[in-house]
Amino acid sequence: MDAIRIPPPAELDGLDDEQFRHVVRAFLHANYPQELRNPPKRLHWSENKPWYMTLAERGWLCPGWPKEHGGLGLSPGKQIILTEEYERYGVARTNDHGIVMLGPLVIKYGTEEQKRRFLPKILTGEHIWCQGYSEPNAGSDLAALRTEAVLDGDHYVVNGQKIWTTLAMDANWIFLLVRTDKNAKKQEGISFLLVDMKTPGITVRPIINLEMHDEFCETFFDNVRVPKENLVGQLNKGWDMAKALLGFERIFLGSPRQSGYALSRLKILAERMGCWEDAQFQDSYARLRLEFEDLKALYGTFVERLKRGQSLGPDVSMLKILQTELFQKITDCMLEIAGENAGLLEPMEGNRDLNIGGLYIQARPATIYGGSNEIQRNILSKNVLELPG
Amino acid sequence: MSAAEQDDRAESIRMIRDSAAALAPPGGDLKRIRDLRFQDPGFDAGLFRQMGEMGWIGLRVPEALGGAGLGLGEMCALAEELGGALVPEPLIAASLSAQLLAAAGRHGALPVLLAGEVLVLTAWQERPDTLEAPGTPDAPRRFLPMASGADFFLVPVREGDRLALYELPAARCVPKVERTQDGGNLGSIVPNLVEGTKLSDDIGPMLADGLDEAALVTAAYLLGGMERAFGMTLDYLRTRQQFGRIIGTFQALQHRAANLNMQLALTRASIEAAAATLDAGAIGDARRAAVSRAKARAAEASLLVQRECIQLHGGIGYTDDYDVGLYLRKAMVMANQYGSATLHRRRFMATSPEVEE
Repeated sequence: MDAIRIPPPAELDGLDDEQFRHVVRAFLHANYPQELRNPPKRLHWSENKPWYMTLAERGWLCPGWPKEHGGLGLSPGKQIILTEEYERYGVARTNDHGIVMLGPLVIKYGTEEQKRRFLPKILTGEHIWCQGYSEPNAGSDLAALRTEAVLDGDHYVVNGQKIWTTLAMDANWIFLLVRTDKNAKKQEGISFLLVDMKTPGITVRPIINLEMHDEFCETFFDNVRVPKENLVGQLNKGWDMAKALLGFERIFLGSPRQSGYALSRLKILAERMGCWEDAQFQDSYARLRLEFEDLKALYGTFVERLKRGQSLGPDVSMLKILQTELFQKITDCMLEIAGENAGLLEPMEGNRDLNIGGLYIQARPATIYGGSNEIQRNILSKNVLELPG
Repeated sequence: MSAAEQDDRAESIRMIRDSAAALAPPGGDLKRIRDLRFQDPGFDAGLFRQMGEMGWIGLRVPEALGGAGLGLGEMCALAEELGGALVPEPLIAASLSAQLLAAAGRHGALPVLLAGEVLVLTAWQERPDTLEAPGTPDAPRRFLPMASGADFFLVPVREGDRLALYELPAARCVPKVERTQDGGNLGSIVPNLVEGTKLSDDIGPMLADGLDEAALVTAAYLLGGMERAFGMTLDYLRTRQQFGRIIGTFQALQHRAANLNMQLALTRASIEAAAATLDAGAIGDARRAAVSRAKARAAEASLLVQRECIQLHGGIGYTDDYDVGLYLRKAMVMANQYGSATLHRRRFMATSPEVEE
């Protein structure tokens, strides 16, 4: 493993896929902090900063960005390999909204000035971004958002409330979808605005979730004055931009990794509980395992489409539904066989990463976030099957 | 039962439900429950004493021994009310201990337990997911609910072909405690029998019956939580708007609510039938089959209903501030207590007569 030479960032895209996979493995082996593998909860900036900075220093931070902006310029196919290897190694997510969401949007729609101003600071870790999309009354129906930005001289004055702003307490910048035209059709009066979190009038309140973790926040805006040059793209075109950004990354919501990890925990638990050999359990396990294998195969067909340079259609929604519901079914099975251990708050004694209740709870929001499975089924029935109504 | 007896019974059950409201007001907020979570001992000793004063700890203990001498119909109704309010005071475990003490030759801490002045827990369990108490003298006893507040432990011990019962002061046998998802705790002890007092030579039959009852009453507690969480979810479906409509007008969600309602109806029917079977004096396989049917249903349906209640709420359901998640956490802890759905399904098949054509 150590014998593999890790080429400079600019050469990575030129490797063939297998070489590239081995390089990623060697890179992780050499650089990723062992104690951060498979963390049970989303890490805060204070915890993932060393890894973020390692990636930044090595030039690996932004795999999808073009090289001219400091990225690795990887093709979608290589980005998938990279993600697969990160997942396999149990690499934690960083505070990655700048890398994954904002950067690509600024590259695509921002002015040259905005690119110069914002992209380098993502690459150095100076700007940590969070996303302000959802609101208390605009969740599944995101386009109903009401946080308002009104032009007053050289500034937009922002008033309203965002919710589920992931890791907002760690961020120093936030990108917002705001209403800039109340009279237009709801999708056509939304703009995209960049806001310095230090601006007076912003309040962040963490929300404790069922994992007893403060991953999400509510973020309040009270007469927050934002320079008008912080608007990205055209006025009232924010919705289209945000939607266009939901590119091939949507496939990652359907990555079978979570289910694969959960299956491995289920097997360990079954052995520990003494029911692994049990015929009835074997049948339950076989069902889950087959669902997992078939999901992997289906996922593979989507990956192939990307590698051939095709774009993904709305049918990618089925991956998200299948993966998240399988993840839940596996953790349901864990709870059922764990006896009284199912109710423990902490991992089982003697096995640090066997936290039955924790994994069970972690599986719950997967069918809610990233477009709830109800919304994904709407997409399948309307946009794929073209059913009426 | 005659019609008059049936009316009396229904009245008795209604009175129990009303009395539960004194300690767990319907529609009351869950602040008390939240404040007790993840603290020791995880319940309020003062409220436990009130439960004693209300006669709840001895509800199943004969009147001659200071109990109320009421049936499982009443006990299940009470547990359902407590489950709806997520009451953490360990009534089910205390009631099991009270029944054992009442059945033992020497009654030990029975009077102070019935008064709610002490918590007595029965340390019968040696492995997860079982209803068997082997009584291995020196084996650790596990999964004692709210063990951090216990004053005495009752330890069944195999002596020859019988199970004897020993009473141990908790001060001489400090439990090792782990926190649970609902904010309570489970303890384990290594029984130090030389510190104990022997109360009975033969507690085995009473213990088996008591564990059956505890399984059934746990099912009723879970049912109460299902009812309340489902009620909250219906309220949400009736008020939450997205896409310019009340979300409860979407047929896909209506059908899911209808499915959950059927699970609630089946769970209630199963529990009430089992309580009636036991109150009518069923013994042996008939008794075990009735209990297992109810507990298998409640364990499975409660988790299904609680999961769906979270999902139907969307993101807000995943916050700790919103109460519906408290019910999921409680179900995670209690669904497998006194036997998982799998255990009870198997036991049902082993004890139930086959369906006749």
